[in-house]
Amino acid sequence: MLYALMGLGLSLITGILNIPNFAHGALFAIGAYLLVTTVGVIGNFWVSLLLAPLGVALLGLIIEYAGIRRLYAAGHDYQLLFTFGLALILSEGIIVVWGPVGFSHLPPQILRGGVDLGFTFYPKYRLFVMVAAGLLILATWLFLEKTRYGAIMRAGIENKEMVSLLGIDIHKLFTVAFALGAYLAGIAGALTAPIRGVNPNMGVDMLGIAFVVVALGGLGNLLGAIAAGLLIGVAQAVVAAYWTEASTAVIFAVMALVLLVRPQGLFGIR
Amino acid sequence: MKRRDILKVGAAAAGLGFPAIIRAQPKEIVMLGIWPATGAFSDVGPILDRGMRMALEERDMKIQGRPVKYIVRDSATAAGAATRRVEEAVDGEGAKFVIGPWSSGVALAVSEVAKRKKVFHYFSGGTEDISGSRCHRYSFQWAASPYTAAKTVVDNFMKANPKARRWHLLVADYAFGWSVEKYIKEVGKTHGIEFVGADRHPLGEREFSNYVQKAAANRPDAVAMINFGLDAVSGAREIFNFGLTPKVPLIMTWSSGVEELVQLTPEIRENIWVGSNFYYTADTPVAKKFVAAYQAKFGNPPGYAPSAAYGMTRMMLHAFDKAKSVEVRDVITALEGIEVQDLVGRMRVDPKTHQTLRPYFFMRCKPKSAMKHPTDFADIIATGDTPLPAEYAACKDLGSF
Repeated sequence: MLYALMGLGLSLITGILNIPNFAHGALFAIGAYLLVTTVGVIGNFWVSLLLAPLGVALLGLIIEYAGIRRLYAAGHDYQLLFTFGLALILSEGIIVVWGPVGFSHLPPQILRGGVDLGFTFYPKYRLFVMVAAGLLILATWLFLEKTRYGAIMRAGIENKEMVSLLGIDIHKLFTVAFALGAYLAGIAGALTAPIRGVNPNMGVDMLGIAFVVVALGGLGNLLGAIAAGLLIGVAQAVVAAYWTEASTAVIFAVMALVLLVRPQGLFGIR
Repeated sequence: MKRRDILKVGAAAAGLGFPAIIRAQPKEIVMLGIWPATGAFSDVGPILDRGMRMALEERDMKIQGRPVKYIVRDSATAAGAATRRVEEAVDGEGAKFVIGPWSSGVALAVSEVAKRKKVFHYFSGGTEDISGSRCHRYSFQWAASPYTAAKTVVDNFMKANPKARRWHLLVADYAFGWSVEKYIKEVGKTHGIEFVGADRHPLGEREFSNYVQKAAANRPDAVAMINFGLDAVSGAREIFNFGLTPKVPLIMTWSSGVEELVQLTPEIRENIWVGSNFYYTADTPVAKKFVAAYQAKFGNPPGYAPSAAYGMTRMMLHAFDKAKSVEVRDVITALEGIEVQDLVGRMRVDPKTHQTLRPYFFMRCKPKSAMKHPTDFADIIATGDTPLPAEYAACKDLGSF
């Protein structure tokens, strides 16, 4: 579910801006760090879970408004280089602010420990993450499918020039899309912190998987990103049950296999 | 005197004088620290550098009156990058004494470069091949033999938990993991331990839920991890999240100690047993002095990484002292068979295998209520120094220079 959440955010940005956002992993990491910091300050996990991704969305908004927007005229190569450089700056920024050594963060008391599902024993917090991520994906989907602004965003992915000719502020659309993508990365990071802890490289680890999800689903295809995220997660879990050594390699094997058969990804490029 | 004459005199003086000054400068001894600054273990590279630098600074960066030029290159925890950079440092900078890197797999590649380039090489890690099947005259191993580690951990854990006979293993799938796993199983047999599962995971694994699910399904009395760094931290965290610890004891058989334990909360550390090549409460004069100096300089106690770099450099410096020479061959010959009281106590170097024979530490993590300060992670409950039995020794001949 977390892979789907990351993939959805990245696909949204890729679809609207036509560039792969290399800073997406760093935004994920900042979401995790902000959650831990906010819990430390206010002492409430649930409020922190609301605030941390909003902080990342705000950062995304600033990045788009102050950085990427100024490079639209320069072309995609410059925007791509900008997000690549930004990823390095944000990763180093994490080390400067929070230090090079990672640390653990416990789930809230109510979600600690596990439950016996009959066939397996599973941590309560992971079950919560599955439900929360599922709801977030559903909410994002409903926003994109059922609201007017969601329709504009989808139209923006299909044909930016047409949307612009209809009198819609395309730059505002880009900013909102980037902030929404950043929010999804941020909340994925915040939800991940009690599972994997935080460390400066956590964004790099996740970025690779997020790109696999986007490529597998079809570049810029939102439904594809959700389906690919779920597919990767399930494939990893199934393979790990029988052949643990291959559980990481299977992510890339699935992508290679699908792209051999369908180079445009599972749901096609938008 | 005309201006031209003055220039001539100046040129003559420079021609005669400067070479004399150059001749008066003793030739520097170039030492290379090949540490990971990028890639896996990049978090450890800077603290490895600290350890080596501290040992050299204790000697005012001089050996036998000659200045030491300490250079650092990034191993990137990649065999290709590390070997290329070591070769460049040897050929370009004149490095003759190499310490590092931090990954067993990469170290084996660097060891081959040391052999080919005929330079001194000291490494600390879990592979037994450096002082085993791929031993040669130029490389030395500082960390305890995987057998010494396994014997210390298994014997002492079983002494404290005699009924915990069903073990599940989580093993890092590379040279270090295989070596330690082999001896854990070997020593485990003598205690009647049943290994109900043994899963291998790739280096850099961060998603341990599937491994832990399998471990939980086996209903073990204890889980033993043979992994390192962030892999070990991620594994320990996930084992806690699944509710195995603290009910089921977790053994980190080959831990970096402080560097890993600081990344876990006291709740996660409860009922964790730790084997390590160093722990900062080691009761030796050298360790106490080093720990005090390190804490004063960096504000936190040293873990295995800086201690290993410090310890290897000190052993090499002891060999320089014994050799009374700065030639690679003389230093190697002096280190073979050396015996000193150093960082972790009595330390010897087996002249037949180049394995450093030294104590290994076994700790039990403290509950939160017993911690006196934030880095009071564990108590040393035992040390062990049983060397690898001769019948297991894979190093048959170190060869010649």
